[in-house]
Amino acid sequence: MNLKHQQTFALNHFHGITQTHHHPTPSTLPMMLKGKIKLPEKARRAFPDVLGSLVAGFDEKDEENGGFPDRVVGEELETFEPNGLASDREIDEYGRDDEEKYPEGELVREKHEKDVGVLVSVEEIIAKDEKRSDLEYELSQEEINLEKLQRIASLGLPDGGSVRATAWKLLLGYLPASRDLWEKELGENRSKYAKLKEDLLLSPSEFSRRNNDGPDLNEQCVDMGVEGPLERQKVSNEDHPLNNGKASVWHQFFQFSEIAEQIDRDLQRTHPDMKFFSGESSLSRKKREAMRNILLLFAKLNPEIRYVQGMNEVLAPLYYVFSTDTDEQNAAHAEADSFSCFVRLLSDSVDHFCQHLDNSAVGIHSTLARLSELLKANDEELWRHLEYTTKVNPQFYAFRWITLLLTQEFDFPSVLRIWDTLLSNPFGVQEMLLRVCCAMLLCVKSRLLSGDFIANLKLLQHFPITNIEHILRVANDISPDMSSFLLPL
Amino acid sequence: MVLVLALGDLHIPHRAPDLPPKFKSMLVPGKIQHIICTGNLCIKEVHDYLKTICPDLHITRGEYDEETRYPETKTLTIGQFKLGVCHGHQRLTSLFPIYRLKVISWGDLDSLVMLQRQLDVDILVTGHTHQFTAYKHEAGVVINPGSATGAYSSVTCDVNPSFVLMDIDATRVVVYVYELVDGEVKVDKIDFKKTTATTAH
Repeated sequence: MNLKHQQTFALNHFHGITQTHHHPTPSTLPMMLKGKIKLPEKARRAFPDVLGSLVAGFDEKDEENGGFPDRVVGEELETFEPNGLASDREIDEYGRDDEEKYPEGELVREKHEKDVGVLVSVEEIIAKDEKRSDLEYELSQEEINLEKLQRIASLGLPDGGSVRATAWKLLLGYLPASRDLWEKELGENRSKYAKLKEDLLLSPSEFSRRNNDGPDLNEQCVDMGVEGPLERQKVSNEDHPLNNGKASVWHQFFQFSEIAEQIDRDLQRTHPDMKFFSGESSLSRKKREAMRNILLLFAKLNPEIRYVQGMNEVLAPLYYVFSTDTDEQNAAHAEADSFSCFVRLLSDSVDHFCQHLDNSAVGIHSTLARLSELLKANDEELWRHLEYTTKVNPQFYAFRWITLLLTQEFDFPSVLRIWDTLLSNPFGVQEMLLRVCCAMLLCVKSRLLSGDFIANLKLLQHFPITNIEHILRVANDISPDMSSFLLPL
Repeated sequence: MVLVLALGDLHIPHRAPDLPPKFKSMLVPGKIQHIICTGNLCIKEVHDYLKTICPDLHITRGEYDEETRYPETKTLTIGQFKLGVCHGHQRLTSLFPIYRLKVISWGDLDSLVMLQRQLDVDILVTGHTHQFTAYKHEAGVVINPGSATGAYSSVTCDVNPSFVLMDIDATRVVVYVYELVDGEVKVDKIDFKKTTATTAH
């Protein structure tokens, strides 16, 4: 009984927020449909219409519903094929205009769905195709319209293929909008990276060997050649392995070997369930080595921040997407491209990693405060409940959400989808990130309202919702809190 | 890139109280991967101290070592190089009965060559003379790191403390020689490489 009360209460409340929500148009259908084709029975009730979806199932056991059960990346792409929609797949009817009260409508609903199923599917296939070809059209232009790309990309990019990799590179500003400049830019950046590696990642042995005066003269062969006492020579730059001086190549190497060890440890623990990252195959080892180079290089170039645990998690989606690019040239240079994009991505939020900036205006606490303000502006009741009644401070759950760009809260394919939206926000990643975090809170509102400190903390630290499209839709509708919102320059 | 510390003939506490402070300040843990010790530490405390610098410690027996269970010789492979260790006070005959008839005097190069051949190693590290030497002969290279404390030997009292640090990188070795001369640490190096790869054992 109680639960029902809360559901209706929540519904009313959401009603207030979503007054301005647009009804799904054909062009948005495909995205919302993406992946849903595989939904198990239970979850389908969650999607029928906008308002219904805001209430139904999300406060219930979402783990069971799981918007996207065992999602296999490759498979999703197949659903775009017109032939892929077999008749045995039950598709949600979508885009119902009338706002139905949800709860007991289950049985009735399914019947409806079956009726309209066939009709709607054709529409959807076409719409999806349109969208995909929209995307391909945009990307094939000589001069890419970034605003348009941002709009399309925010609705989700296809898995597999080359689209996401290219789109992300454009959205991050790595690739210029003019297609004819691509080759030059990529070439320059990639060779810059190779040089950086050579300059900074060289082992001291290699370094001293290269800096030797007349290396051939000095090297003697142990297994052949003249007998006699071996000549002692001067060390180059007075440098040797036990040198403790700051300028010593060896000293710097040992300082970084600790960081390198930490990076190695973290990489071992990155996505242990994914073959791409983990395991002892030579392929995954090479991947980890590439990621290690990127992180070590970043640490060397940014001595004030070096390496912080978690950076590996932020790098992972980038490196994955670029390595799995079906364009072989691009995939071969995934390391160099990932490095540049990682730097760009982090430039916005690197201050979050800086402990001594924690309490400053650019630090994590300030961002967490903005999240609170955003929640307050959008749902004061929930805000009050969290902030005062249960004292669940954003620091306890959102720290990780924000610093790691939500990589730890959802399964990998979902993270990629969320990042499509984050990267394509015209106001920047951070702005959308806060809105998504706020949306996450709103989506579990009734559970939060009925929970105490411990229950709420547990809930938020193991975020249960897997229906990403829903969260992103809610995020889209959140009105930004302009009072503390700084537009990027 | 593997760093191997080679030292020996410390003769603590009988002939020297400790390693020179300037050496001790350089020998910090975390940098060195292996330690080769030619012998004559002589007490357990020195063994323990060396273990703190690096847990992978290879010691051979010197005639004054209190620990009697150290082996007479030892071999190990690092990179493409086979290394052998032996203190060098022994008569070759006692090590290898095949040389029954040869009488060896200390520091005799011939016997060292024979020893190296017998151990079949590229680099032989021995001590006993308390003098740094690095010599190349037909069977390989012999390195004597000298005495790390500058302890007197039966031959001379004028001993500069010295030790050796080898940077082994696949087929190339850079031997850094650390010597305390007039209170200052002097560092030299010796570069050599191997042209044929080691066959796996």
